[in-house]
Order: sequence, then structure tokens, then C-alpha cells
Amino acid sequence: MLQSIVHVCLAGLSQGMFIWLVASGLTLIFGVLGVLNFAHGSFYMLGAYFCFMVLRALGENFWWGLLLGPVCVAAVGYLVERFFLRRVYGLELPYQLLLTFAFVLLFDDLVKIFWGAASIGTPPAPGLADSIMILGRRFPSYNLFVIAVGPLLALGLWGLLEKTWAGRIIRASSSDREMASALGVKVPTLFTAVFVFGTWLGALGGGLAVPYLGLLTPGMGEQIIIEAFVVAVIGGLGSLKGAFLGALVIGLLSAFGTRFLPTFDMFLTFILMAGVLLWRPQGFFGEAR
Amino acid sequence: MSSPLLQVKGLTKAFGKVVTAREIDLDFEAGVLTSIIGPNGAGKSTFINMMSGSLSADAGAITFDGHDVTRLPIHARVGMGLCRSFQVVNVFPGLTVFENVEIPTLVNRRRAARFFSPRAKETQVRDQALEVLNLVGLGHRTEVKASELSHGDQRLLEVAIAMAARPKLLFLDEPTAGMNPVERVDILKHIRRISNQGSTTFVIVEHDMDIVFSLSDRVVVLHRGDVICDGPPSVVQCDEQVRECYLGQEVM
Amino acid sequence: MITNKAYMAFGLLLAGLVVLGLAGDRFLLYISMRIMILAIFALGFDILFGRTGLLSFGHGAFYAGGAYGVALCYMHLAKDPLLCLLAGVLLATGLALVIGFFCVRHTEIYFAMLTLAFGMMVFSLIWNLREITGGDDGLVGVGRQAINLGLFKIPLRKESEFYFLVLAFFTGAIWVAHRIRTSPFGLILAGIRENDRRTEFAGVNIRNYRLAAFVISGAMAGLAGGLGVLLESNATPHISHWSHSSDPVLVGLIGGLNTLAGPLVGSLVFVGLKELVMRFTTYWMLFFGVVLLIILLGFRGGVVGTLVQRLAGRREVRS
Repeated sequence: MLQSIVHVCLAGLSQGMFIWLVASGLTLIFGVLGVLNFAHGSFYMLGAYFCFMVLRALGENFWWGLLLGPVCVAAVGYLVERFFLRRVYGLELPYQLLLTFAFVLLFDDLVKIFWGAASIGTPPAPGLADSIMILGRRFPSYNLFVIAVGPLLALGLWGLLEKTWAGRIIRASSSDREMASALGVKVPTLFTAVFVFGTWLGALGGGLAVPYLGLLTPGMGEQIIIEAFVVAVIGGLGSLKGAFLGALVIGLLSAFGTRFLPTFDMFLTFILMAGVLLWRPQGFFGEAR
Repeated sequence: MSSPLLQVKGLTKAFGKVVTAREIDLDFEAGVLTSIIGPNGAGKSTFINMMSGSLSADAGAITFDGHDVTRLPIHARVGMGLCRSFQVVNVFPGLTVFENVEIPTLVNRRRAARFFSPRAKETQVRDQALEVLNLVGLGHRTEVKASELSHGDQRLLEVAIAMAARPKLLFLDEPTAGMNPVERVDILKHIRRISNQGSTTFVIVEHDMDIVFSLSDRVVVLHRGDVICDGPPSVVQCDEQVRECYLGQEVM
Repeated sequence: MITNKAYMAFGLLLAGLVVLGLAGDRFLLYISMRIMILAIFALGFDILFGRTGLLSFGHGAFYAGGAYGVALCYMHLAKDPLLCLLAGVLLATGLALVIGFFCVRHTEIYFAMLTLAFGMMVFSLIWNLREITGGDDGLVGVGRQAINLGLFKIPLRKESEFYFLVLAFFTGAIWVAHRIRTSPFGLILAGIRENDRRTEFAGVNIRNYRLAAFVISGAMAGLAGGLGVLLESNATPHISHWSHSSDPVLVGLIGGLNTLAGPLVGSLVFVGLKELVMRFTTYWMLFFGVVLLIILLGFRGGVVGTLVQRLAGRREVRS
């Protein structure tokens, strides 16, 4: 019983870390730009595919893919923000939402055109291909690596936002845009930078998912974007701390749900999301509107 | 002995440590044009927001037309005849001038929920809406989009929307803000005339002293959440405390 | 005068559709029915999105409510198509009432998120309650029995027969949408979209009006879903997924928001383009992504809005 619970916890934690990586970029972009980016899941998907492309090109080494893939996706994010998203900031929310939705459609098909509609098997990460024994059952060591990377990244983000000059600007403009612009911040540049960085975070999640999933499928972004929405909402849209804890909650909930209540695990996730939206729309760590 | 139209008792509201209303007791009689003045931060906005229902009071009671409205939502108060206008332009920008006024008129004539009969058939609503528009001098521009009106005309439309609900008591929040002097005189004349007709009682919230003293029957001065003076303009004008906290500030 | 022209245009449209029903081949009829069904969905949706300004990402749930209502009624209760449709619309309306009750507490992004969450709850139930819904296989084998009117029966089995039932509902939906748009209630909805605070200060209980718009659009989505299941003879869970909920949004944007003709033109373009594009390539989503981008960046009025603007611009030259 203990063994089973520990393993379910571990599975939930590693699942939660991917959601966290995607949700962190999503919530960061929402906090600063005020745009809820449907295409963020597509950046996760692109991250995975670009990572795969690079690792193919550079001798089946996953680590090169993880390093370079997300950077390529960040460049795509730059193009999206600079030439499309920027034109709709002044419009009503639905238009912004739908613009990002257009990119979901675009990227889904582009991935099919370049890599085919079928799933692609991927190699494991060099050095982390095996598994280790935990309480008498095997657990993939790569998943442990992911569980470690998530909090490290959270720590890094926290340091970036709290301790650096750039972070202070981001925080200032996320709470008060006019204030930031009064302080001399070039808001358009800041928006582009944050969007590109957020995109990179999502793509990094996708890159990390390559050995974890062992399989790339063109629809992989649509599943995770909804989970990331749930997490960002639960934690509070715009709150990184909330997104981190929310991702842990959702990861664990869905792991336990799959194990013990398979019929209702998806239902539980969404009823939690709706409940938070109704009872505390600013989430658990977001500021009141 | 008739009870006042609006009765406020012990009304209190604080935001953290800042008290914006401290046990305010005020009565508003029907037909008496009252002005509420006070320097910035006096609690005028809080007061009007509590009257209209945007804010709930921490303590105290509001009685309107014999009913306790302290806990009623905005739309219910409007339904009873307690309305307000806004300091900033607050119209329906994408709708025509006529439609702007048609909305509160439909509600007032209890036609708003009709979902299957054409609006064009509501002739009484049309006449009533046109009447209000003529009253504020917009009767000839009914088919213009509200967003295409000049700022002054939008302010007039704002007042017309508030009037169209046929309120018994109407709070006007700085009705002349952003108007040029000609428009200002014009709208004040309208207000005075409608007030004299007697169906609507006006309470004007202002910080422009000239307007207040020339127009009002009664002036209430708020300062940091307290009523510091209440009486006819001539009395208030001479009050020492008012001069100190309010006029003094103006001079500076 | 303009209204007279509009009435004539709709009259011509209906006459054309009747002729099509009498003369068209099976494929053409099938496509036309899909367009009309989507238009019913989009007409209802436009009352909520175009008119009231609330963007829902969960209306697939009500479409599915109608579809599964019809399928379940057909399998367990009664086989009469009209009874089945009634059951489907009632189920969708009930769902919309319950879900809407919660959703209209918020607006804008929070409303969109709430509808997404509830829509996905419905999806997860359909997906997982296999005994009732058939899970990922869906419910198959919903037939089209004749409508029994006592003295005589109206057969629906053939495409050319069922077509006229769809056309009747399509006409009814246009009529209902038109009545709502020109009613006092319709103006209040527009007021809520333009300035919800002001509408509240006009004495309107805006939450109730939003809920009414939500339920009307949900009921029409249910009708569309019910007709859809009769057309395709099966109900699959993906119709309740959020990616299906975006169909009426796209249709509305393509055709033009807050117009009566918008959902009709949008549905025609949507289904027509999809059929056309799919003859040449399977990548129709790419195509729609590009179309959506063009509309969002350049032609936010959609087809109808852009046309109206052009015509108005020609008539009176303004700055």
C-alpha cells in the first residue's frame, strides 16, 4: 500500500512538473501582457518537435536538443508577438484570445506537414535511460530528474523576478502598466521580451517531455494547455507561486484520480477549476481584481 | 407628517483605516434640490456609491420611499426610483442616442423582458424616450451613434439616460464636469426646471462652489467622512468651519 | 426600406433552399443540411457572443446535450423524431440553465474559463460514463423514423425527406433570432455588451438577462446537436470537446458578429471552405488558421460587416 502511494505520488509529481513548466510561461505572459495565450500549448508541442529535430541532427543526443530546441521555438514566439499579437493589444479580450487560437490551428497542421500526422518514437536521455528501485519497485530515473528540474526552475524564476533589475520591471508592469511606462520602461519591448521568455519556458517543458513521453503526437499541445489553464486559474492568473503549487495539486490529483477513481479523474480536475473560479476567481495566490 | 424621501441613519464606511463615512445621518425631502460638496477625499463618491448600491455600508441604514434599501442590489434600487448619473461619460457608445435612452425607458415601463415582440411596436416607450431627449436638447440627433457625439452632448445624454428611468430621486455626480460654460448654464437651467416640476428630486454632488450656491435649496458639506455643515446656501457660505477646511483649501 | 430588402433577401434564400431540396443530389443536400445545422448553432451562439458580448468556450456541451438527448431518447424512450428532438432540446436547455447559473457570475476571461471548465466536465462525463453514453465509441445507429401525425406519416429516411425538416427548423431559428434581435430584450442585451454597469443602473438585473441569453443559445445549440445526430445517425464525444466549442466562434467571426446574416454566411463559408479545402489537402486547420488571422487583423466585421461597411461608405462619403 505504502509502495503504491509513494509511486503514485512520484508519478503525480513528475506529471505536475510538466504542467508547471507550461503554466509558468502562460501565467507570466498573462500577468504582464494580459493575454491568455491559447497557443502556449502549441509552443510546448513545438518545443518537443524542435528538440527532436535538433537531437536527430546532432547525433541522437537529447541534451543538445533540450538546449537548442526551445531557443528555436522562442524565435517563433518572437515572430508571433512582434507581427501578430502586437496588433490586437488594443482590442477586446475575445479577439486576443481568438488570435492565439488561430495559431493553435496553424501550428497543429504545420507540425503534421513537417513531421507527419503519425506519432514518432523518441530515444531516452543519455545517462538517464535506466530506472532505480524505490521501495521495491522500479521508477524511471529521468522522471526523478524532471521532479528535480521543476523546483530548480521555480527557484531560478523566483530569483530572476525578485533579485534582478529585469525582474523588478516585470513585476512593476504586471501590477501597473502605466506606472511602468512612467518609469521609462519601453512597454512594447518589455511585452516582446516577456512573451519570448514565456514561450521559451513552455517549449522547455515540451523539450523535457520528449524522453518522458517517448512519443511525439501532433495533438500533444491541446491536452496540456487545458491542464495549464486549470493550474493557472487555480493558482491565480498571473501568479507564478500559484502556478507552481497548482501544478503540484493537479499533478497529484490526476495521478491519484487515475489510480483510484479512473472514471472521474478528469471530472475532478475541472470541477476544481470551476470551483476556484466561482469561489475565489483571483485564485489562491493571485491578487484581487 | 410625511417622512423624508430618503433617510440615511448612522451610515459608516471605512477602507482599512481610512474612514470615508462616519455615522452620517441625513434626510432628503422630496422637491428640495440639495447639493453635497466637499474637497477631494471628503467621502462624496463613497456616499453616492452607497446610496446607489455599488458599495455596501459597514453600518447604518438607508430608507427610501418608506422601504429599507440598505441591502438591495443596484437594479432593485433603480426600480424603486433611486438613480444616479456618473462623473465620467458613461453611455452606450455603440448604440444610437435614441437606443441609449430607450434602454432605461423600457425598464421603466416594464417592457424590457419582452423577447418576442418588436421594439418598434412600443409607441409609449418611444414617446417617453423622445420626451426625455427633447428635454435635454438631443431630440434632433436620435439616430446618431453615441460615440460620435461631442463630449458635452455625451454628458447631456448621460443625464438623459438617468432621467429616462423616471427616478423619484436622482443623484447627479458632477453633472457639469468637462462641459464648456455655455453647456454648463444650459444643463443647470434644465435641472432647475425639471426640479421645479416636482416629479424628480435632485441631489447634486459637486466640487464647483458657484454652481452649488446659485442652484441649490440646501447644501450639505462633507469633510473626511463627516457632515460638517448642513443648511441653506446663505448659511453654509458663512460657516466658519466650511471656510476653514474647504474654502481655505481652494484659495491655496 | 432596408428591412424590406432584407425580408426579400431571406425570402429568396428560402425559396432557393426549397428548390435545392427538390432538385439537389444527395451530396449537395447533405452539405446543405450541415450548413443549416451549423447555422442554427451559430445563430444561437451569436445572441450570447455577438449580442451580449460573452465568449463561451463550452457550447459544445449543449450541442452534445442535444445530440445525446436525441440518441438516448431514441434508444430508450421513443423513436419519434420530433419527440427525440424535444428531449434533446430539453436536456440541452436544462444543462444550459444549470451551467449558465454559475457562469454568468463572471464576465470576459473568467466567463470564458468557467464555460471551458463546465464544458470539459460534460465532456469527461460523456467520455467516462460508458454504460450510458458509449464512451469514446459514442452512440451509434440513431435512425430517422417517420413522423406520425395519426392520419398520415411524414417519412424522413431519405436525405431529400429529412432535408425539409432541417429547413423548417432552420427557418424557425432565423425567425426566432430575428424576433429576439428586434425585441426590447435584444436591446437590453446589446446594452449589456456595450456597458454592463450602465445597464445595471438603468434598473436591469443583468445577471438574469445574461442567463437568459445563455439559455437561449444553449437551447439552440441543443437543437443543432439533435438535428446533427439525426443527420449523421451517431453521437460522438468529441462534439462536447472544447475544440468543437470553437466552431460557432469561428463561424461568427467569419460571417460577422451581431448580425442576422453573419451566422448564415459564416456557416456557408465554414462548411463550404472545409469541404473544398479537404478535396485538395487534409490540412484544413492550417487554412482556417490563416483565414482567422486575416479576419482578426484586417476584417473584424467578417464578411457581412465588411460588406455593410463598404456599402455604407459608398452611399455617404464620410471622414
